[in-house]
Amino acid sequence: MGGELGSLVAAQLEAEPWVGALVGIDVDPPRRRLRTAEFHLLQPSQRERIVDVVTKFNPHVVINLSVWEPDARAGLAHARQFTADATTAVVGAAAECPALESMVVRSGIEVYGRARNTPTRPTERTPLDPTTEYGRMLANIERSAREVGTRVGLAVGKLRLAPVLGKHVPSPLGRLLRQPVVPFSALADAPFAVVQDHDAARAFVEAARLRLDEPVNVVAPGAITAVQAIVRGKRVPLPLVGPEWTIARQFSHLFGAPIPDHVVELMHRGRLADGSTAREVLGFSPQRTTPEVIDQLFAWPSVVRVGAIREVA
Amino acid sequence: MAQIVEFPRRVAGTAANVIAEPLRHWPAHSVDDFGRDPHLIAALSPLARLRWDVGVGGVHHLPVRGGALLVCNDRRWALSNIYTAWALSEATGRPVRFVGRPDIAPIGSFMRRIGGLLARPDEVLGALRNHELVLISCATSSHARHAGEVDHTLMGAAVMAGAPVFPVATMSSSIGRTARAEVGPQVRPRRKRRGPLAEVELAEQVQHHVQRMLDGFGGMQTGVAPLDWLTAEG
Repeated sequence: MGGELGSLVAAQLEAEPWVGALVGIDVDPPRRRLRTAEFHLLQPSQRERIVDVVTKFNPHVVINLSVWEPDARAGLAHARQFTADATTAVVGAAAECPALESMVVRSGIEVYGRARNTPTRPTERTPLDPTTEYGRMLANIERSAREVGTRVGLAVGKLRLAPVLGKHVPSPLGRLLRQPVVPFSALADAPFAVVQDHDAARAFVEAARLRLDEPVNVVAPGAITAVQAIVRGKRVPLPLVGPEWTIARQFSHLFGAPIPDHVVELMHRGRLADGSTAREVLGFSPQRTTPEVIDQLFAWPSVVRVGAIREVA
Repeated sequence: MAQIVEFPRRVAGTAANVIAEPLRHWPAHSVDDFGRDPHLIAALSPLARLRWDVGVGGVHHLPVRGGALLVCNDRRWALSNIYTAWALSEATGRPVRFVGRPDIAPIGSFMRRIGGLLARPDEVLGALRNHELVLISCATSSHARHAGEVDHTLMGAAVMAGAPVFPVATMSSSIGRTARAEVGPQVRPRRKRRGPLAEVELAEQVQHHVQRMLDGFGGMQTGVAPLDWLTAEG
């Protein structure tokens, strides 16, 4: 509930008539004003406290958004550790709640992987074959949730999000595209899709309301290639062929925009997914198309300067 | 002093503008959900017209909305799936995606931009479920008037999606520009099957339809009478 996506989901849930009480856990305080939600500041490693909070509240629905994308808020090793700890604690605690009917977990379209000859637009029926560390982390979350769902008899909804971009969402892809000079794969220039944070949050709310019990891709309509995104953002494209990616990644890291392996894969092999099930099952489709989200990414100001506070009385 | 400080910034700005100038005219459009780039196809169309002058017929058979699987014959090195897909796209006003791109950069990436899909049943099924027109080819043949076998696994995608199947007979010359793509009426399965026989039988039926249409085209006309007499059949 402390991250941007968590805060958005909490704010939207508060406005839902079917939601009674709301409890959230995160390592950061909420970024939005929440009126009725109760918040607990807990680390992913504090498993006993998390289990205690969740079981005492005994919810009907659990939404697990605790996913640390590598190089978004933490490096790969920390991201892997935090995600694994949080999944164990939250999913484990959910299994102990007698009133629980449904669990919705965050996943990503990285779980399909981009090995050679994999479908261009995987559907939810495509077998999972993650080819990056982030993809494997997400596949583990899905597996844990599925196992608990089977053992306890829960509806488990898995929302596989395209890369989430938003004004305050820490995203390695967003950071990379906003650099003045952006590397791209000259040989491939593969297409990818993204989703805006508000649309992703809406998908979680709908999934919780409908007690979703299947995986669903959440992808903004349309697609864009890296060069098209770079040109739309009036950045300088830097064509790379192969080995120089290693150097480019080091440079980019130095300038504050590390490029994790799933973003490199996106640049080389693309990242699309079929989002039509979301329309059919959730009755929801993202409002912003992929090119619109990319345009907004470049329109957001880097620094918002707030004027000096003056005392008036 | 201020001018001295400003000088490197101005030089850097000017240099960046000079470098970026050609990029300002680069089309910053987007691709569609499957990675097809209509603007790139529009840019390449004049080049394609230099090679092929495609006459299209039977387009009225195709659905105005909704997905459909089209099956065309393929002579070796003729690239019939590409010119047929482009010609039908232009004639119908809907994107027609051809099946059979490799998944290796740069050729695979380029073919995806011009409307290519992988030759996988789930890829074809995904496109048909999204109401797309998808063109697959019969097995490649060395003879221009021979329709090879149709891959029944790809046909299974149409059966699963409940999409109509249309035969497309194509004919082109190795040396001339003239080419033809004729869409036939929908092929309906002779009997209802619940299992995998549905796609096997449908694949055979479509192959026969394409072959019949190719036979209806008649022999190749070179325009040189003695040669035409020699190549005439039946």
